[in-house]
Amino acid sequence: MKKTFLIIKVFLTGLLVVVFSQACTDLDEEIYSEVTPDQFFQTEAEFISALGNAYTQLNGYGGSGNIFPLQEVSSDEMVVPTRGQDWDDGGHWRRLHQHTYTYEDPNINGGWTFCYGGISTCNRLIFQFNELGVEGAEEFIAELRALRAMYYYWLVDLYGNVPLVTEFDVPADFAPANNTRQEVYNFIEQELMDTKDLLTKEVGGAAYGRVNYYTAWAVLAKLYLNAGVYTGTPQWDKALAACDTIILSEEYSLAPDYFDNFVADNASSPEFIFAIPYDEVFQQGFNLPMMTLHYLSQNTYNLQAQPWNGFCSLQEFYESYEDTDVRKQSFLVGPQFSSSGERLTDSGAEAGDPDGPPLTFTPEINELGPQAFRQAGARIGKWEFELGATSNLNNDLAVFRYADILLMKAEILFRQGDAGGESLRLVNLLRERAGVAPFTVLTEEDLLAERGREMFAEHTRRSDLIRFGKYNDAWQFKTVDPSPHVNIFPIPRPQIESNRNLTQNPGYAGGTGG
Amino acid sequence: MRIFTKIKYVLSVTFAVLFVGVLYAQDGTVSGTVTSAEEGPLPGVNVLVKGTTTGTVTDLDGNYRLTVPEGSDILVFSSIGYINQEVSINGRTTVDVELVTDVQSLSEVVVVGYGTQEKKEITSAVASISSEEFNKGNVNDANQLLQGKVAGLIVSKPGADPNRGFNVRLRGLSTLGANSQPLVIIDGVVGADLNTVDPNDIASMDILKDGSAAAIYGSRGSSGVILVTTKSGKAGQATVDYNGYVSSENTARVAKVMTAEEFKALGIGTDLGTSTNWFDEITQNAVSQVHNVALSGGSEQTTYRASLNYRDIQGVAIGTGFEQLNARLNLTQRALNDRLSLTLNLSGTVKDAQGLYDDNAGFEDAFRYATIFNPTAPIRSDAPEFDVYGGYFQQLLFDYFNPVAIIEQNELESQVNLINFNVQGEYEPLDGLRFLARYSQQRDNETGGAYYSKFSYWIGANRNGLAARAEEREFNQLFEGTGTYDRDFGNLAFTGLAGYSYQEFIDEGFFAQGGNFLTDAFGYNNLSASLDFPNGLGGVDSYKASYKIIGLFGRINLNYDGTYFLSASLRREGSTRFGVGNQWGNFPAVSAGVTLSNLFDVASIDNLKLRASYGVTGNTPGSSYLSLVRLAPQGNFYYNGNYIPSYGPASNANPNLRWEKKAEFDVGVDFSMFGDRFTGTIDYYSRVTTDLIYPLTVPVPPNLVGTTELNVGQLNSSGLEVILNYAVISNDNLTWTTGLNGTYFLENKLVSLSDPEAGLDFGGRRLISNLGSPGQNNTPLIEAKEGEEIGRIWGKVYDGLSEDGKWVFRDLNGDGTIDDADETVIGQGLPDFQIGWTNTFNYGNWDLNFFIRGMIGHDLVNTFRAFYEAKGVATSYNVVNTKYFNPNLDDSPLFNSIHVEDADYIKLDNATLGYNLPLADGTLLSRVRFYLSAQNLFTITDYTGVDPEVRTGDSENNDDPLAPGIDRRDTWFLTRTYTFGVNLGF
Repeated sequence: MKKTFLIIKVFLTGLLVVVFSQACTDLDEEIYSEVTPDQFFQTEAEFISALGNAYTQLNGYGGSGNIFPLQEVSSDEMVVPTRGQDWDDGGHWRRLHQHTYTYEDPNINGGWTFCYGGISTCNRLIFQFNELGVEGAEEFIAELRALRAMYYYWLVDLYGNVPLVTEFDVPADFAPANNTRQEVYNFIEQELMDTKDLLTKEVGGAAYGRVNYYTAWAVLAKLYLNAGVYTGTPQWDKALAACDTIILSEEYSLAPDYFDNFVADNASSPEFIFAIPYDEVFQQGFNLPMMTLHYLSQNTYNLQAQPWNGFCSLQEFYESYEDTDVRKQSFLVGPQFSSSGERLTDSGAEAGDPDGPPLTFTPEINELGPQAFRQAGARIGKWEFELGATSNLNNDLAVFRYADILLMKAEILFRQGDAGGESLRLVNLLRERAGVAPFTVLTEEDLLAERGREMFAEHTRRSDLIRFGKYNDAWQFKTVDPSPHVNIFPIPRPQIESNRNLTQNPGYAGGTGG
Repeated sequence: MRIFTKIKYVLSVTFAVLFVGVLYAQDGTVSGTVTSAEEGPLPGVNVLVKGTTTGTVTDLDGNYRLTVPEGSDILVFSSIGYINQEVSINGRTTVDVELVTDVQSLSEVVVVGYGTQEKKEITSAVASISSEEFNKGNVNDANQLLQGKVAGLIVSKPGADPNRGFNVRLRGLSTLGANSQPLVIIDGVVGADLNTVDPNDIASMDILKDGSAAAIYGSRGSSGVILVTTKSGKAGQATVDYNGYVSSENTARVAKVMTAEEFKALGIGTDLGTSTNWFDEITQNAVSQVHNVALSGGSEQTTYRASLNYRDIQGVAIGTGFEQLNARLNLTQRALNDRLSLTLNLSGTVKDAQGLYDDNAGFEDAFRYATIFNPTAPIRSDAPEFDVYGGYFQQLLFDYFNPVAIIEQNELESQVNLINFNVQGEYEPLDGLRFLARYSQQRDNETGGAYYSKFSYWIGANRNGLAARAEEREFNQLFEGTGTYDRDFGNLAFTGLAGYSYQEFIDEGFFAQGGNFLTDAFGYNNLSASLDFPNGLGGVDSYKASYKIIGLFGRINLNYDGTYFLSASLRREGSTRFGVGNQWGNFPAVSAGVTLSNLFDVASIDNLKLRASYGVTGNTPGSSYLSLVRLAPQGNFYYNGNYIPSYGPASNANPNLRWEKKAEFDVGVDFSMFGDRFTGTIDYYSRVTTDLIYPLTVPVPPNLVGTTELNVGQLNSSGLEVILNYAVISNDNLTWTTGLNGTYFLENKLVSLSDPEAGLDFGGRRLISNLGSPGQNNTPLIEAKEGEEIGRIWGKVYDGLSEDGKWVFRDLNGDGTIDDADETVIGQGLPDFQIGWTNTFNYGNWDLNFFIRGMIGHDLVNTFRAFYEAKGVATSYNVVNTKYFNPNLDDSPLFNSIHVEDADYIKLDNATLGYNLPLADGTLLSRVRFYLSAQNLFTITDYTGVDPEVRTGDSENNDDPLAPGIDRRDTWFLTRTYTFGVNLGF
């Protein structure tokens, strides 16, 4: 037995030598293709690069899965019909147009994550810049707070009662509850008032694509314009002052040609207050041709990807333009040709399609689904599609445009009782540029219609319809909404599920509240 | 591995004898032949002069020659599996002996973690499959050897793509993470790649099924362990073995779609004037050949086996297949009176594959579009409008491409190089005490190249030629040291094991893609000719990541009187993939067994053992660095007139990430009856996985991104496994043995994916796995529900058609409208039963084996039908035309219960007829065998899709294991293969 124990002792000693050698139990991770924060924030360039992360979230603005369809497909300007086997997608496109959306619909979550993704990044960077206490960080922080307010402006418009999260260093199980729409409104106003004077007043140049002083005022103008909707109390005076701050600065002007704003190389447009500087290489995400064009249109523009044949405009909206209105060229209708001028033939054309196989976009849409014709619907051709374009356009996309501010001012003056003076002059400025006869007097209906014609597909229609009290009306493929609860979207299902403190918006199923 | 007992003892004695033997000289010489009644001449029998250390071993023909020291008279003949015999020389110079089989000592040895054990001592659920039992025919993947052979092990590969691997799942689902496939260990090398070993070189495979057996491998044992033992050399004359076969593979089942005539009769789609069977056009009679040559032998000190394997495999799709050369060397050198042995295992594999570029790019699309391409369309057209497509006929419709053009115009290729080496030394300083040290390296390099022609209308359309290259390198090195101590204390036999394991993994890769070429001439070989790079449109990427696993482990086995057995083990393991403070986990196991047949004497029962085990294993997340805050480039930012890169978080850091743990209880019975004619094993298992690592949706903010890898929830699974073998007929002329294995999957339950205390809520249920485009996005197919079985296929219930041919769905809640509230469970994606039934007949020199395999109880979503079984789609696509096709349906395709089908199947998986040529003495050849094998002779199923095989995960969602049961449109056709083979021994 003695020998046995000796053996065990030798054996264990051998093991212990192994066990207690440090290197043998070293579990530090070695990182190769990413950086950790302690290796970062060393140079000014790294700072700026970090700041950029708050802006890259905006790349989704020109995509098909978040706030673009929420603002447009829910309105009378746009629809995504179910074309046979295409675009049924569980009915969510039809529900969006018919205002029967549910908290499960993907675009509703897409809009939410788009906004909160940006807010989260802003919060993180504000925290990090504060922590690091670097010289000049103040201006960066002001810019981030203003940008965050813009994300919150979209949230207050779309969802109303959203949680205000402004801190980054919160406990891991932090689950914010909803704030009221009024509270969110107040926060946005306060943040922009606090930060606007720290923002650059430079226009274009180094400030292009960044939130400047006038961008802050543009967000404020939108907020005040819709204050009646958001809070029940209109703020026409404040809205007017905000618009005037921009207009009277004389930093912006109308472009001579309406389409200067939408061509591929549109960065020089004098109308852009805040634009997303899309690029097919460097800043990707504006994929309008994919959304709207027919499969065969690939050969019209020599596109590098086959389009999806989805989004199109409604006949009534298309016909709200006079034929002489240059803005009517925002639509693609009629016979379609290849880039070399040959007529395109759609061998998949339905038997009932009156135009048959030769590809022809018709303003008329036979039905919302399931058997809408493949060729039905005027297509969105407002932005130039370059020959050989990839699925990411080079065209920059304006978030706030001077013409919009002019129309907003006209509307504010109109609401304040001016139907024939300055308000009429402002509207007619745009009609003149569009090549149509000026109005002699303004009506509420004219104002809304003119906003539609000028701002088609520019993310404003739903808000405009709500403000004008028309969102719940009937239009093509849509009946009168039985209840105005649809004027804000439901809190999306994945959000309710991941945050037990969130309460559903009134009138919607899912989660608590409702 | 079924080797026989005491081989080490026997060999060591033999060699010791020989060392000493040469010292004696000038004594009497004795020679002779050792035979047995069953086997004839017996090679490898030890012959020892009693009372001395003088001895030898018989050669291949059973002959021996021995110098006997003066005064010695008794020879002892011993061989594993035979009763030792002592024979008096009595002055003879020739002593022939016939050995008698020892039934008692035929106890098999099973390879277990870090060692071997006699089967009778095993107290956990372990299955051993030897090479004789392997699946036969055209087998190119070691996993296929096991398909259907092991109760509880599902080995599946829908379709017949030769370049794709198998999905392997043991005892249902025990994790939602990356490691749902069993851990593979080849000749002791943990975490090895099964592709590095040619099926011809495998001697046996042992499957550690329950938690207690796998727990010695700690963190990676949760999904079971497959131990592979390769063939090695034996002392004696050099032998050469040749195994070769040619096989012919043809399409056996294709999708059911309309013929040109049927399509035209519908009167909806465009009649393009011809008739094309697209399935025929993209497939071929695939002829493959495989050759394996092995040289083995050795001396007392040195044994070796070297093998060379060549595979030239064609796929059933035109232009696909691979060519592979694999070489392996197993070498063992003994020294210091056999107290030291050094082993070297080397293997190298080079493979050139056509038809697969990387995991995400193969020619599956050709099968998809062959199914839906207009049957009246021509393959090619001379019309000038098709010049831009290289003369292939194309129609500009959505999601629609000429399948022949897909394969013929484009190149998808990859080259795989696998190099392994393993050096291992074992030293026995004192009897019963052994130390082993091992160092091994494995390098997997895969280089892919893809080129999509300027004329391609499929991938690369309007890119003016598109080329891509991808290189992936995986490296791992392992160092392990173990010590083992064996000792008998009276009736109590003790074995102790302790060890240390260090393993480091490095994965790195490089990728580049660019288009816009002037000419197709370069293929993917000259990316600098791509204009995309100067234009900023080319894509380039590279990455590198590493991780380490360090383990300390020990085990004690006790055997009291050959009747009572106890085993206990513990592994303490650390992984770099967890947060500091959570890196180490403990994985204990205990198992016990009692041989009841030693306690009670029941007539006709030869052996009856009852055993029970409990073990804890773990799982790590699928990627490194999840506990750390990392920043990575995320798009660009327009700053001062220039785009500069923006940096943002790569993920939500989770410093609290900890081990996922699986606790498994197993109780089993092993029995043998009627003189070992009837044997069997029955096991019941129950597994509970807690702290599941799962990417849960989290609120943003405060989180940075929308999902975090978190420890949440619980999975339960349980099942019953039965293995029965019966020697039906056993006489001199004819033997028939039959074996049945069955698995009853009792439970596969997602108990929870929430952690209320941490405020993490899965929300009770989620609808997952979108059906997809065209037109059926936002159409989930599966409900993942807490507290319910995994694999709930979800949707509306078909209730006929309206008069005008519109879908009518059942109004389940009776509210008069059909909406999401009328959706329910309409199928179950996972099977209830798996059955494998094998039969072997031997008659004279003939043998016949057939193997029937079946899966019962699972349903499949037939996505081809869900998309294309409506006549309206004929405007764009061919129409799926199964028995469910309803010409009255005049509505858009819309997924519902009619597209979910019972996919039970029984198939004659393999039938092999062999003949052993009787050989006269003195011929060069020692063995000649011919065989003819057929794979998948028939499949009996009601399923109307191509392959009723179980889909264990959703192939369109990273094989999401929460979404089994979806037959996506990426399955190759099912094939039937005939193989003619020959085995030669020299």
